[in-house]
Amino acid sequence: MPAEVLTPVTQALNDGTLTRPELKGLMKRSNGPAFRHLAIWITVLLATGFLIKMTLGTLWVWPAMFLHGIILVHHFSLQHECCHYTVFKTRWLNDFVGNLCGLIIMLPNRHFRYEHCDHHTYTQLHGDDPELIEPPKDLAGYFWYLSSIPYWKNKFSELFHHVLGKLSEEEQRFIPKEEYKTVIWEARLMSAFYMTLIVVCVVFSWWAPVWYWWLPVLMGEPVMRFIRMTEHVGKPCVRDMKENTRTNYVTRPMQFLCWNMNYHAEHHYASSVPFYALPSLHEKLKNIVQVEERGYLGAHIDILSQLTGRKNRSDALENPSNGT
Amino acid sequence: MARERSWQDVIAITDLLKGDVTPVTFGSRELAIFDTIQGITVSMARCTHGAANLCDGYFDGVNIECPLHQGLFDARSGEALAAPARVKLRMIEARERNGMVQIYI
Repeated sequence: MPAEVLTPVTQALNDGTLTRPELKGLMKRSNGPAFRHLAIWITVLLATGFLIKMTLGTLWVWPAMFLHGIILVHHFSLQHECCHYTVFKTRWLNDFVGNLCGLIIMLPNRHFRYEHCDHHTYTQLHGDDPELIEPPKDLAGYFWYLSSIPYWKNKFSELFHHVLGKLSEEEQRFIPKEEYKTVIWEARLMSAFYMTLIVVCVVFSWWAPVWYWWLPVLMGEPVMRFIRMTEHVGKPCVRDMKENTRTNYVTRPMQFLCWNMNYHAEHHYASSVPFYALPSLHEKLKNIVQVEERGYLGAHIDILSQLTGRKNRSDALENPSNGT
Repeated sequence: MARERSWQDVIAITDLLKGDVTPVTFGSRELAIFDTIQGITVSMARCTHGAANLCDGYFDGVNIECPLHQGLFDARSGEALAAPARVKLRMIEARERNGMVQIYI
């Protein structure tokens, strides 16, 4: 028999949690939901951008930029779905939109795709999961992570090294050799685009990208860090998908912004299920996955309880880092 | 001495999932039987990238997508079409006879 590689979805089929016709029904693809979602998405982006325009020159521009930034950083959620090809039925549209999102939030799409593949193969396994967010050691580590400073430090360093043609040992593990050049040139093209835009800004004294894009992204990123922590941090570092991932019940606007990725455990169970079918998949799996009914805040209460010793740490038997 | 290859029954055509991929265990082999728009094809069921069972993936009648990383294969030729899949699927010669899917093995 072949080596026992049991994906969560195969496990769910084997133990009867999900039937094959149910799974196949949930995996059906359509472009319609994505286009409708995108239409509202763009409207919201234009609205928050308009708020910035109306408040420029006043102190109100800062909350307006923060609001706009929250929408902008959620391009990560859309990019993430695109890298699973679960937004559009038309496969190339996922690649196109995924790359566009990556440009907006400075996350090269090809690199992210390979990194994310290993995240799904080795979810929450130390040394193997390249996206594992270490539980912070203490409150200082918690706020340091949320500040996004370590995140940006890492992203700029990654991009810089790729531009120089260097890949870390970890990256060489999850990116196939044949793709090294693609990842390196992707970073070079992205950097060239940013550099050109910066030159254009300086030469023409045109600062719209700063006010409508870069500053809002920097201001919004802590919100994305806050959300990303709720997916796995504070859950045990074990292979069992029923234990290592949280699903969070969130408000409709947040669910809209994250493209239903609050159903994170369901997504890990069956990552080929399109974003719009995740609520239905949740109905099938809700009794076997970890559900945080209090949502993102509840997840952080759980994490903070572990950091402050009011609850046992999920990584009690491991060596936590300082959360960077 | 190696056994000579011959045509072997694997599943009744009426038991196939119409327009989809059907998992079949044949001896020690896990097979994927594809009901493609150009007829029935058979491959080894495991993805050549991460060894997930392709029968649990999304199939559009032509291409099969891995359920774990969404790599893509042409279910008619086995060609790897999209990352992270790079190595083609091992296809097994197949035909329909007397209401059965047969493989040459």
